[in-house]
Amino acid sequence: MRYALSDIPFIKRLLRSRWPQWNLTATLLLFFVLAIIAGLVGTPAGNRNFGIVFVWIVWWALLILLLVPFAGRLWCGVCPIPAPGEWLQRRALVQPRPGGKLYTLGVKWPRALRNIWLQNAGFLGVALFSIIILTTPSATALVLLGFVIVAVGASLVFERRTFCRYLCPVGGFIGLYSQVAPIELRVKDAAVCASHTDKTCYTGSDDGYGCPWLLFPGGLTNNTTCGLCTECLKTCTRDNIAIFVRQPGADLLKTTGRKLDEAYKGLIMLACAFIYSAVLSGPWGALKETAAAVGTPGWFAYAGIFLALNLAILPGLFWLAVRSGRWISKPASTTMRALFADYAAVLIPLGLTAWVAFTLSFALINFSYAWPVLSDPLGWGWNLLGTAGLKWTPYIPGFVPALQIPVLLIGLTAAIGLALRTTRQHGQSPWAAAPVAAFCTAATVGLLGLYLA
Amino acid sequence: MRLARGNFDAMQRKPEIFALGVIMLVLVAFPASVFGYQAWRVASAGVKVVEVVARVPAAGGFSPARLTLRAGEPVRLRISSPDVVHGLTIPGLGVNVDEIYPGKVVEVDVTPDKPGRYAFACTRWCGVDHWRMRGVIEVMALTPRPPSLVGQGEIVPPPLAGAGAGGGIPSSGGEVPLYQQLGIELDAMRHAAQATPGARPSIAAGAALDAKLPPELADPAKRRALAPADAFRHLRADPANAALSDDDVWSLVAWAWLKDVKPAALARAEALYARDCAACHGPDGKGRGPAGVNLPGMSKMDPTMPTGPANFTNASAMLAANDVLLQGKLLRGGMGTGMPEFGSLYTDAEQWAMIVYLRTFLFGK
Repeated sequence: MRYALSDIPFIKRLLRSRWPQWNLTATLLLFFVLAIIAGLVGTPAGNRNFGIVFVWIVWWALLILLLVPFAGRLWCGVCPIPAPGEWLQRRALVQPRPGGKLYTLGVKWPRALRNIWLQNAGFLGVALFSIIILTTPSATALVLLGFVIVAVGASLVFERRTFCRYLCPVGGFIGLYSQVAPIELRVKDAAVCASHTDKTCYTGSDDGYGCPWLLFPGGLTNNTTCGLCTECLKTCTRDNIAIFVRQPGADLLKTTGRKLDEAYKGLIMLACAFIYSAVLSGPWGALKETAAAVGTPGWFAYAGIFLALNLAILPGLFWLAVRSGRWISKPASTTMRALFADYAAVLIPLGLTAWVAFTLSFALINFSYAWPVLSDPLGWGWNLLGTAGLKWTPYIPGFVPALQIPVLLIGLTAAIGLALRTTRQHGQSPWAAAPVAAFCTAATVGLLGLYLA
Repeated sequence: MRLARGNFDAMQRKPEIFALGVIMLVLVAFPASVFGYQAWRVASAGVKVVEVVARVPAAGGFSPARLTLRAGEPVRLRISSPDVVHGLTIPGLGVNVDEIYPGKVVEVDVTPDKPGRYAFACTRWCGVDHWRMRGVIEVMALTPRPPSLVGQGEIVPPPLAGAGAGGGIPSSGGEVPLYQQLGIELDAMRHAAQATPGARPSIAAGAALDAKLPPELADPAKRRALAPADAFRHLRADPANAALSDDDVWSLVAWAWLKDVKPAALARAEALYARDCAACHGPDGKGRGPAGVNLPGMSKMDPTMPTGPANFTNASAMLAANDVLLQGKLLRGGMGTGMPEFGSLYTDAEQWAMIVYLRTFLFGK
């Protein structure tokens, strides 16, 4: 059951015009520029710096609590990071070049890297240094600048939005979790696409560019790789593409044919949710100090444990759980590798709710830092809006656990439900889901322990 | 007419030019306005704003650790800490900030009126190397250089001055510290008094015997070169003091050392001791402060000597040391012992008051 939201005339006009989306991106670019300036020359006190407060508290909270769960990749559709590169690639800011012409070397991304392994590695790299990045304005600014530079370079060398599709560390997990969202961009009737020989949604036309995300919308079956840039809505001559409201998590119902890189993304995200919760929100000051002491022997030990947890220990435990389920009830005809990837779908609701719970733990507590920073973004003693003197006030701190518990339990319930569904789709007995369900329960109990202890 | 692939028509160019204007505003005008507003704000406030970041020494200490200001120019120091609680003292400029909390910005307005070099330091025990957290402000003359001197090198400010008066390293004898004038080798000195008091001397009893003080003990300048144990021996050998007990003579010695210090100066020294010394030497002066546990102390110079900070209640060592020696250690610090130098932070008067305060651990107040 789904409803074509973009068929509402007002929304259709909004989506077919290039200006609303462009205005939003340009506005976000202004905030982005301010975050970089504040990071580079503003106060090093993170809670007084726009770069830290608006990127890691305001933006992150909006992304994890609202945008990803309810609007999927909507952020990717307006993200300012690839915008400069894309504008250079198009040699145009708003209007489409006739025929959707692009000015790039147009090198094709290597076939071996057409997956999200590099995004996994990029996310791990950022996460490993996150204690520094999240608290040091200059580090945040350099990371943001680095993203822009890589995105511009990729736009000039490779075709379309190669950066977003294969390189952006943030886009990897947004794509994974966007499968939960109650919206999707899909074709209305696949038969129309089949008969449309021009495929302007992919090749581009005078009305817009070929899919920047290198997708053929007619073949879309989930939200993972569609960046909601809405170019195809503008270029489809048959009005056959729409944004639909749908059942939340519809992409997760098909638990076969999943990919190993996405399985690892789910595991990395879950491991990082644990590590962040322990290091940033936990009561262990020495752990936080060690994680921040980059280059020291203690930090190398931390880095080793961090990488081992992400790449070996948690995947190993999950593999054991899947293997145990396979021992309980052998699937019809599936390799262990494929079964591992398919069962990893359970990590999507589990991981997203873990991140929501973690974000709740600090976002409500620290959100009030945003008001003084709005008036004094660089910590230079300004008071533009008269809010510079507002004191830090945690919002409903006593209520946070009451939000975290149901969120985590919803994630656990969905994960167990998906595990059971996976057994059915692989012809296994429902008992085969027990080890994976135990894994998910242990993860949830562990997170609850961290948040409530 | 269909356009060639990639070319805009006139209708498309207008919105593109508008969009380009918007992006120029975002990428050029907006950053320029940020810096322009700050420049206007600073100019209209009539004060130079300097951002100072205080980090634990392992992370770099003060940044910047070296500031150049101009005499007579009002300056607003905006001090922030991204890690732990720090403090700030600039003795020569009369600046004392007790607490710089992480995430807070402390503003201090100061107008250095005389050229010179002014040390500044953290005053909170922020980490194991807290004492390394120092910096220097160079205050240059505001008046322009005469044409005849242009191109002949920079004006070098005078050496560090705790008093901020632009003078030399604080000393009683001018530019050269007294311990150097007297040829006292700070590190080679191994002193042990042959006579020590059996009980704590009585200042009151010593005051009652004030008339018996010889000129070399009554005069602070002369007394500084004399160790208390030598003073005791000198007094004891004087036949005029034959009727006095050893305790009376020690009381007279204690009186000689404490009689000239004003209560306010002693209170200031006590506060400085608590701030700068107690963490290593202990609040009771016994050398057992928590921050001094692992310091090498004088064993660095001589392995047979005890490790750790000096024990100011050790009568044998303290009574054999004259004030000039103690001032030297205070001025220069103990090379390799873990003892920082305080010559750049204390005024001349504060140094001598501190030495008197150290004597009170044995003599009482």
